[in-house]
Amino acid sequence: MANDVLHRDASLQARLAAVAGGDQAALKALYDETAAKLFGVVLRIVRHREAAEDVLQDVYLRIWQNAATYEPTAGRPITWMCAIARNRAIDRVRARKETPVTDLVDGEDWMNQVPDPYDGESDVLDRGALAHCLGRFDDLHRQCLVLAYCEGFSREELAARFDRPVNTIKTWLHRGLASLRSCLEANA
Amino acid sequence: MTDRPSDKGLPDPDIEAAEYVLGTLPHAERVAFARALATDVGLQAAVARWQAHLAPLDDTTPEVAPPAGLWLRIRAAVAPATEDGRVKDLTRSLRRWRMGAIGASALAAGLALALGLGRFLPADPEAGQYVAVVNRGGELPALVVRVDTRRGLAEVRSVAMDVPREKSLELWYIADGGAPRSLGLVEPGRASMPMPNAVRDVAGLDKAVLAVTVEPSGGAPGGVPTGPVVYSGKLFRD
Repeated sequence: MANDVLHRDASLQARLAAVAGGDQAALKALYDETAAKLFGVVLRIVRHREAAEDVLQDVYLRIWQNAATYEPTAGRPITWMCAIARNRAIDRVRARKETPVTDLVDGEDWMNQVPDPYDGESDVLDRGALAHCLGRFDDLHRQCLVLAYCEGFSREELAARFDRPVNTIKTWLHRGLASLRSCLEANA
Repeated sequence: MTDRPSDKGLPDPDIEAAEYVLGTLPHAERVAFARALATDVGLQAAVARWQAHLAPLDDTTPEVAPPAGLWLRIRAAVAPATEDGRVKDLTRSLRRWRMGAIGASALAAGLALALGLGRFLPADPEAGQYVAVVNRGGELPALVVRVDTRRGLAEVRSVAMDVPREKSLELWYIADGGAPRSLGLVEPGRASMPMPNAVRDVAGLDKAVLAVTVEPSGGAPGGVPTGPVVYSGKLFRD
């Protein structure tokens, strides 16, 4: 399992290096390997298919332009790419005047997926530690973090969702992140 | 628990980095943080650390295959302009417009209006002023564009223009046979756009065409048009 992850990381790193050199075929290969994942990430935040397609296009243009800035020592290539996707998606929804607070896709409760044991390749990552630490949170605090990360909820949207003042949400987030940091450091 | 700056009520850059990664910083703080991030290696390390911490959540998101055409859009945007099929398409469609305009009565209305408008505008051949009425397929003109080569400005007056949601309209200048160059976004409050030097210097404005395309919010990312041409028009000497 771990070898699979390492192998895939090495492959994506090689692709990114080629993309940094202006290799369009490498960009196509990178796109084929990662577009479904990044589109899922973007779509979940943007919640609008056409807008999500625009964001995804922009994401790959940024990858094309910025591939040379990827530092293998700073993290996994797919994490770097997902971060670009999430940032662009969040910038997009924040730029909207009004963000529709729609129900989760299919009413599915994503939060329930977080503390679950994960399949396969994650074992080399700190996914287990994250799940462990989030599992120790109050439900509401965990939901805040997960909704913000996975669904792109702003503080205001979280305040509306949980019927709390924005400042309370801010406090929850700060406390949650601080205790997450302590817990992850303790479990590192 | 370790004693952290936040415990004393002071701002904690590491928590700010975490909120940046989470996406919950208010807009102004997010913009300011992103600016600081560009040069602050300490923040870059903090952001990378939080990204790695939270990345497992990415795996809870189901993969969704993007539509097949999306790669073509990306390829068009990264390809050099001369090899860009979309730019050729745009140029071709504009050529078609120009040829079609000779006979098409619907478009003739637009042309007549352009000529009529020209009469109302102060005629000053020395001033280097051009005007274009930018039409949508022979319907009412949507934009009146005046190009002032002396001042290097394109002035845009919107007559009737629908901006699709979450999109931007971008104005392009296409010299005869040349690749489109962006003049900027068409925005309600924006009357004049500075023209790139290369456009100012170009001879043969009489043969130039202006076009408006639908682009992602903020404009075409790669500096080349990616969206459909919704308006196009020819420059007339004013």
